[in-house]
Amino acid sequence: MGEKIIEVKDVWFKYSEKVTALRGVSLEVAQGERIALIGQNGSGKTTLAKHLNGLLKPTKGDVIVKGMNTKETPTHILTNIVGYVFQNPAHQIFTKSVYEEVAYGPKNQGLSKEEVDERVKMALELVGLSGYENVHPYDLNYGQMKLLTIASIIAMQPDVYVLDEPTSGQDHRGRRKLMKLIDRLNREGKTIIVITHDMRFVAETSERTILMARGKIIGDGPTEEILLNTELLRQTAIKPPQIVQLCEGLRKQGIDLHALTIQEAYQVLRRKLAAS
Amino acid sequence: MSSLATSILRRSIAEVDTPMHRLDPRVKFLFFIWISVWAYIFLDYTLTAIFLITVLILTFIGKIFKKTVKAVSIIVVPWMAVGIPILSALFPWNKTLIYNVQLFGYNIPLYYEGLAWGIVWPLRIGVCLASAMFFLFTTEPVKLIALLFNFRMPFRFIYAVAGALQFTPILLDDLQTIIQAQRSRGLRTDVSLLKRLANYPVLIVPLTLSTLNKVQIRAIALESRGFSAPVTKTWPYDLSLKRRDYIFLAGIIATTIIFIYIYLVYGFSPINHLQFYIAAG
Amino acid sequence: MVSNEPIVVYENFSYSYPTTPNALVDINLEIHRGEIFGVIGPNGAGKSTFCKSLNGLVPHFYGGTMKGRVLVDGMDTFEHTTAELSTKVGLVFQEPETQLSGLALTVEDEVGFGLSMLGFPAKLIRQRAREALEKVGLKGFERRSPFELSGGEQQRLAIATVLAMKPEIMVLDEPVALLDPIGKYEVLSVIKEIAAEGSTIVIAEHEIEELAYFADRILVLNEGRMVSLDNAKMVLSEVEKLKKIGVDPPSVTELAYLLEHDLGIKLEYPITLPEALKIFGELMEGR
Repeated sequence: MGEKIIEVKDVWFKYSEKVTALRGVSLEVAQGERIALIGQNGSGKTTLAKHLNGLLKPTKGDVIVKGMNTKETPTHILTNIVGYVFQNPAHQIFTKSVYEEVAYGPKNQGLSKEEVDERVKMALELVGLSGYENVHPYDLNYGQMKLLTIASIIAMQPDVYVLDEPTSGQDHRGRRKLMKLIDRLNREGKTIIVITHDMRFVAETSERTILMARGKIIGDGPTEEILLNTELLRQTAIKPPQIVQLCEGLRKQGIDLHALTIQEAYQVLRRKLAAS
Repeated sequence: MSSLATSILRRSIAEVDTPMHRLDPRVKFLFFIWISVWAYIFLDYTLTAIFLITVLILTFIGKIFKKTVKAVSIIVVPWMAVGIPILSALFPWNKTLIYNVQLFGYNIPLYYEGLAWGIVWPLRIGVCLASAMFFLFTTEPVKLIALLFNFRMPFRFIYAVAGALQFTPILLDDLQTIIQAQRSRGLRTDVSLLKRLANYPVLIVPLTLSTLNKVQIRAIALESRGFSAPVTKTWPYDLSLKRRDYIFLAGIIATTIIFIYIYLVYGFSPINHLQFYIAAG
Repeated sequence: MVSNEPIVVYENFSYSYPTTPNALVDINLEIHRGEIFGVIGPNGAGKSTFCKSLNGLVPHFYGGTMKGRVLVDGMDTFEHTTAELSTKVGLVFQEPETQLSGLALTVEDEVGFGLSMLGFPAKLIRQRAREALEKVGLKGFERRSPFELSGGEQQRLAIATVLAMKPEIMVLDEPVALLDPIGKYEVLSVIKEIAAEGSTIVIAEHEIEELAYFADRILVLNEGRMVSLDNAKMVLSEVEKLKKIGVDPPSVTELAYLLEHDLGIKLEYPITLPEALKIFGELMEGR
């Protein structure tokens, strides 16, 4: 793991007098981590995520991104470091072509035309939309639109990616593409933070999981630890992935099985069957 | 009926309940028409100012004072600032000299009639606007719809109005999200007005499309719940006049009698005694 | 209890939207009274179109062209308006807040909305509304504003609105897609309860692991066409077929498939967790 890239220090955030969304949240993110941020709606996960790129500033406490305090740094500088991909592509798409859409971010960064071209080409290649430059964004299917919104952030070359519910509305193929993309980005040293309700996706892509409830972090650790902590999950009414539940049930029957994903479960079963 | 009121712009429940909110919307609507008409009949800036202050007092009781003052100022102040100087100099029925101003070596006479005209008109519009806001903002959207039902407006028209009322808060929420999403891509909100105008399509396109999509979803949901059935709808909200409404109406009638008396005896400018021919309009 | 009496019949039904051709192609099937009928498929397969073809939104609201016909309790959807069909078919959409009428001040009024639109008498509306609210677990919410409810509560409210109209069939188009885990759980529990009472339900879903618990038969759509239609166990066990068109079968089913496919172990494929515990438990006994 790399060095510390984000530090959240005892952050409190109030939307209004009556609504306190974050109650003393602290955490550290190292470069290259793959983190899942989970919790019920209203737990504060989205609010926390929006503090990472300066969209929101803490009412109390500090958020330090790459050494810069978000309270003292203009948002447009922070968005070059932390890229935030919103859930609904319709909230973002405003141009007539895939090219223009992806070029918007780099243009705002003040890059030259050649550099913008380079970035667009690179981003489209990464998400698998090369050749779609002149297609109207609304002629794409939903999965492609989601990839487009991710591409438009990739083109800005941030160090950290925050993806808000990237698998919502996606089918199996879409999820697979997304997983591959996250892999590629991570291999280039990028930090990935995924906000999601999809426990299976969490098990398959994130090595660290942060669980939030009522504005506080109530669990932060390796994904296996969190997803296997049935007591903790029950507190927040979250169900672990089916494979985890299967293993738990089998362990009760005396069969020693630990796995987070289908592949892991298969490997363990295979070894056990071969051993007998 | 519980004392819940949903303001037009915010759909979260704010426990706003004032005597003004409890007035029947028909009464408030009548008041709006009534006071606007009288503001037009009298050409007297002092009287019109009194009208405006009265309406503003009502909005104060209705807890929408700040909003109303803001809206009225935006219209009235610039209008006066431009109208008064111009009309004082160039009004056709100017005759009473009040001041001579020296500008660039020229002598420009300013007259009372133009001045008065320049004050009265914006004030009249102010009265209209303030009383309209009084009616709209102290009435729950659902009561507004009940009002339309009461006036036997066609159902589709009612839905159009209701739709607009209901979608405003959703639109505002969406706009917030869109601004955040675009800021995440480098949209600047801290730059000059001119540069911010360039942001317009970046925000309007997603807002429009997202709104249109929601409008469509609501439309099909309504269709699926029998919205278009050509029968008489059973509407659960009806309006009935209470004692406070009768008191308010009595006040309006009494004031009307007084106004009529004033008009017949003192003419259309009872306090300021403005005299000139007023052409049609 | 599933009878054999067909309540919905699709005869060579094909439909194209004005801007999207072949949304549904050659649909031939029957839905039986009391059945829980699941519809699955990748994005763009036509699940939503299928749901909307049950109450006439397709074709009446969208226009386009169609072939063949859809009969709902004997009524041809082409010959009847959506309003007329709304007493037979109740449709619940994905979007919790957007599908609210926006014309109701309270939850109780929202539930009675459909009946208001059809001109039912006020007393009957109140009675049905209370019954429906109780059924979805929202008793006590009568005087609250629909807009201050959570997503899960709003979806249950939408279901109550449909229940109040006492339709023959309830159709749910990905009802939990936009909900958080707690909302999903609440809504799916209500659906399971309603299913257990013998209602006819058509439900399009991505949450196949959940659907496996209560669907009787499942229709698999891809690119507008029928790929499979059989009882849930049969359909979800065809792991390769499902993955090829972009659908994830339940995790436990996929695990069983891997064991058979890669290791040659013959075993029954579980589609739910209890089944899996039994089947894998027996398989791994003593190891």
